[in-house]
Amino acid sequence: MNIKVLGPGCPKCKTTYNNVLEALKQTGAEAQVEKIEDIEEMMKYNVLTTPVLMIDEVVRIKGRVADIKEIKELLTQ
Amino acid sequence: MEYVQSLVNEICPTSSQAWVKRGAILVDVRELNEVEQLAFDVPAVVHIPLSEFEIRYKELAMDKELVIVCRSGSRSLRAAGFLINHGFDPIKVVNMKHGMIRWVQRGFPVKGDISGIVDANAGGCCNHGGKKESGCC
Repeated sequence: MNIKVLGPGCPKCKTTYNNVLEALKQTGAEAQVEKIEDIEEMMKYNVLTTPVLMIDEVVRIKGRVADIKEIKELLTQ
Repeated sequence: MEYVQSLVNEICPTSSQAWVKRGAILVDVRELNEVEQLAFDVPAVVHIPLSEFEIRYKELAMDKELVIVCRSGSRSLRAAGFLINHGFDPIKVVNMKHGMIRWVQRGFPVKGDISGIVDANAGGCCNHGGKKESGCC
């Protein structure tokens, strides 16, 4: 599984990233987690509102912080 | 924050003034509460908040010159990239670097209260003096 958190490095993006790590820890799931803060890279994904949570190249949550519970649900789907 | 990217052409507020004078449209992607507080005072300005941009960008004419603006130039950069990725002409769509902050510093025309800009002079798109902004960060 590949997880990407896209955002310019603001507090909400950092919270989302940390929530992803915590959700992985709690579920025991394995994933490669990337934080993408580069604006050019973000624009390739046509990202407007951030943070964005992508799982396996699919945008799952955008424009808000993803909480641990919902990330866990996404991980187990 | 200064971003390095090659997808979107960027111009300063002074050049933006020249673009507007020759008929370009200023596209303000700030959220409603920000525009209510302080607006660009130019003849041709369209307000499409970033939080609605994905569904409303088609309101923009593809044959017009568009200068995309926000508070600091960060959100507008993403919006400009989004337009170009959706077929808008990269020659006609540009981002205004440093946004409203630099526009105010240059003394260009605005309507409203500039205290929020002056007080948070060095702030980025995530610094709005505590105000919630759904389209940002």
